[in-house]
Amino acid sequence: MANRKIRVLLAKLGLDSHTVGITVIAGALRDAGMEVIYTGLRQTPDMVVQAAVQEDADVIGISSLSGAQMQHIPKLLDRLRSAEADDKLVVVGGVIPDEDAAELKAAGVDEVFTMGARTEDIATFIRTWWEAERR
Amino acid sequence: MTDDSRKRPAPDGTEPADAEATWRRDVLGPALADRGERQDEFVTQQMHWPLKDLYTSRDLDEIGFDPGKDLGFPGEFPYTRGTNPAGYRQDLWTMLQVTGFGTATDSAERWSKMLDQGLNGFIIEYDLPTTNGYDSDHPLAEGEVARAGTAIDTLADMEQALDLPWDKLQHLSSVCNAPQPVNLAMILAALEKRDIDPASFTLQMSNAILIEYTCVGRYIYPPKHGLRIATDCIEYTIRNHANWIPISVVSAQLYAARATPVQELAFGFSIAMEYLDATLARGFEIDEVAPYWSFITGLEMDFFEAIAKLRAYRKIWARLMKERYGAKREESLRLRLMSSPGTTGLTLQQPLNNIARLGIQTLACALGGGAYAITTPLHDEAHALPSEEAVRVGIAVQNIVAHETGVADTIDPLAGSYLLETMTRRMEDEVFAEIEKVDAMGGALAAIEAGYFQKELARSQRARFSEIEDGTRKQIGVNHLVQADEKRSIETFKLGETAERQQLARLARVRADRDDAVVAKTLDRVREAASGDENLVPPILDAVKAYATQGEICDVMREVFGVYHPDSLTSGV
Amino acid sequence: MERDPIVLAERALGGHQGAGARLIRMLEEGDEGATEGLRAVLPSAGRAHLLGVTGPPGAGKSTLVDRMAAEYRRRGSRVGIIAVDPSSPFTGGAVLGDRVRMHDHAADPGVFIRSMATRGQLGGLARATFEATTVLDAMGYDVVLIETVGVGQDEVDVADLAHTTVVVSIPGMGDDVQAIKAGILEIADLFVVNKADLPGADRVAKHIGAALHMRAAPIDAWQPPILMTEAERAGGIVDVIDGIDAHRAHLRSSGGLDRKVIRRRERVFHDVLRERAAARALACAPRQGAEILSAMRSGELDPYTAVEALLGVEA
Ligand SMILES: Nc1nc2c(ncn2[C@@H]2O[C@H](COP(=O)(O)OP(=O)(O)OP(=O)(O)O)[C@@H](O)[C@H]2O)c(=O)[nH]1
Ligand SMILES: [Mg+2]
Repeated sequence: MANRKIRVLLAKLGLDSHTVGITVIAGALRDAGMEVIYTGLRQTPDMVVQAAVQEDADVIGISSLSGAQMQHIPKLLDRLRSAEADDKLVVVGGVIPDEDAAELKAAGVDEVFTMGARTEDIATFIRTWWEAERR
Repeated sequence: MTDDSRKRPAPDGTEPADAEATWRRDVLGPALADRGERQDEFVTQQMHWPLKDLYTSRDLDEIGFDPGKDLGFPGEFPYTRGTNPAGYRQDLWTMLQVTGFGTATDSAERWSKMLDQGLNGFIIEYDLPTTNGYDSDHPLAEGEVARAGTAIDTLADMEQALDLPWDKLQHLSSVCNAPQPVNLAMILAALEKRDIDPASFTLQMSNAILIEYTCVGRYIYPPKHGLRIATDCIEYTIRNHANWIPISVVSAQLYAARATPVQELAFGFSIAMEYLDATLARGFEIDEVAPYWSFITGLEMDFFEAIAKLRAYRKIWARLMKERYGAKREESLRLRLMSSPGTTGLTLQQPLNNIARLGIQTLACALGGGAYAITTPLHDEAHALPSEEAVRVGIAVQNIVAHETGVADTIDPLAGSYLLETMTRRMEDEVFAEIEKVDAMGGALAAIEAGYFQKELARSQRARFSEIEDGTRKQIGVNHLVQADEKRSIETFKLGETAERQQLARLARVRADRDDAVVAKTLDRVREAASGDENLVPPILDAVKAYATQGEICDVMREVFGVYHPDSLTSGV
Repeated sequence: MERDPIVLAERALGGHQGAGARLIRMLEEGDEGATEGLRAVLPSAGRAHLLGVTGPPGAGKSTLVDRMAAEYRRRGSRVGIIAVDPSSPFTGGAVLGDRVRMHDHAADPGVFIRSMATRGQLGGLARATFEATTVLDAMGYDVVLIETVGVGQDEVDVADLAHTTVVVSIPGMGDDVQAIKAGILEIADLFVVNKADLPGADRVAKHIGAALHMRAAPIDAWQPPILMTEAERAGGIVDVIDGIDAHRAHLRSSGGLDRKVIRRRERVFHDVLRERAAARALACAPRQGAEILSAMRSGELDPYTAVEALLGVEA
């Protein structure tokens, strides 16, 4: 009798404090039946990795609106690898220029959702990945 | 005149009671006979208030509209027609532009250029480490230094940043909420060093910490301590620099967090009254302090809602001051409002479309009347950081509205509009009802501590996003007239990579050159003041003059006040 | 990642946080195989002090837990934290935000924080929490704090699982008598009146004291202290930890610890029995089970007869 839930860790890295996007996503993913673990603001890559590991999150969602994504996210991916936690889905959302998005994906981010992405599409993307993963 | 007369004509063809009914029967009815209206219902964009097909004088009768009471004359209570008796016929609004990038030197150059281009004031925005009370060499600051605004670590940076053509500058705004007393002290000390008379211009501080807790998130200390240090700045400024503006209720941030106009006004005014009460408790009379209160708002694309909002702002403030606080001076009743086209209406997609949006919103700002200053955001702001080109266009848009459209040439041209007056009244009523709800919770501070504003805003945010997702609200380029293979290659401001390095070097130099013993002594004084009731600005000013860094000063207060980490409830998530 | 419970158990015992987390996850999901993993870690468990922290929503429990963890860290202990929040009854999803208040430990590997949603299980929560505490205990965390919201049955549940139960009250909750909820007096080993900076805290403490006096208690029994804290400013935390240590010493000397351990075992035994027996009864004869259920739904069988019928079915 499996009582399985998708666990999603949502975090903001660095000093970017715009929470509108992450608020909307948190609510949408909860309404899609997922367990959303919110870390709050001002996280470092190490904090996010530790939280994701302890919470056994399937998905790490990073919201970035201040433009510092290229500073923090490659570092996060790096730390995930050294913690042997790079099997988690990493999605990034926010104000991400196309060239940054391409670079992030090349570095190991699974998907980038720019502003205006539909929350439904994000939930579907996560669920589809998870179902394939957990099969 | 019965209600029936307003409905569609009776099928039996009985004689309608008046002209409107005749029009409905003989003109409108036949016109809609084949095809009905293009939508089942029409509602306003943000409030979702139903819109009738036609507004007439009867709507004004119904709300008991009284031109004397509801409008008054320009520059007279309740200021619906504007706070300036002469409208824009004497002076146009002050044209401002949000700016601030790179190191202090970069910014000073850029600002001087903008002043030369015809602006007479501007807003200094600081980078995230500065607004969050961290030094540039703090681990969390990495990658953020001088990115979203100017980096100010020590007095040395502020001295540099204020290297400006002071003869052209009338107005300076400083947006730095959580570490506001440090920021104020830095400006004061820098002016002293540069030998500039503080009375020669107006400094407007945002000092808007309570709003940070509701949506923006750049707070440091728990809310009640945030309120205390904000009040310290207000008290100090009023007592020492009477021509400055020590507080702006930046309700624009509520709006940017997708507050509806009613939420924006009600939450904004409740917050304003919280500061006011705290300041009155320092031993002032209402008429000594109310004139200092000022607001900054942003507009949405719904044209009439936006204009009604600006009118309601002035009218409600005047009534609150008169009816609740017994204010008598005109300056207390007259709202200072800076308005700007909003960034939330701008789209990432097809960014050039944003120029049209800016034009329309700037027009609404002007028609809403009496805004003493208008700022324009930049058309590529939704995309990334503003570019030089966007700054130029922003300034041009304001000038086009001012000089080419004629809307600034007669005072409050829209007064008496059936629709607008009906809407303004409804906004007024609903805002008062919401303010009373917050009163019942114990005021804005209590509402923030309980997470009320945050939860309400989160609800509005979700509603707004789902409207755009399901297409009930059309946004061009986003869910309508979408360009499938759109390439987004707009010019964006790229920061020189050296900015962060230069800033770190400068900070290290200052740390090395100063007298650490003096710094430690002044920081102890700050600690002592923070632990008691003493006003924090004077001891912080001493610390700043000793070249204590802003991070060091904020850390002392962190020790005393604690650090605020709201949970998911109180942050709205 | 690895999903073999025995391998996970071994790695968890070796200090691998990810393995411990995955084992907890499988147990929480009711994965029957995971019980093997639990069995494998059980012998290493039993050293940690288990602390329940309960109280009304917004009482400052997470803040308090954060400050308590900091104090334990200062004293050299490794700390496990399980923070329980309700799931949405409509969608089954949840937003778990307790970590936010535990920000200062977010980069400290000596603190293991696990957020847990109730997932709408009655009693099942107690089982999942029990299993999670057991894993953390076995992994060598010296104290395990369990935060639950004191609404409904959860606070009594947590008292069954914890060695020491801290009940958090705050001023300003209205009617003083109501503030001391029925059943609370029996489960509290320590009372904490948090937000002592707010007016009315003294009155709350006085009321709790008065209520304790009215309670019939054996002479040598533990007298729950009433402590004032200002969690936000970390005020009064040292006294709380000292109080918990005193309670722990009392449990040891009075034999109370054994009684608590037995109660914990019994509680889990009954929960697991209820859960598994029901599952088995429904699973062993799927066809008859379905028929009986539908007969019960239509009213043909009353629920009592239906249960008897189901239990009467021979596998
Ligand atoms: N005045 C005051 N407020 C406090 C104190 N401790 C915590 N708070 C505030 O109380 C609010 C709730 O704190 P939490 O720690 O999230 O409370 P909780 O009991 O964990 O809340 P839930 O998990 O939602 O039930 C926050 O705004 C805290 O800042 C205190 O000592 N004094
Ligand atoms: Mg909590």
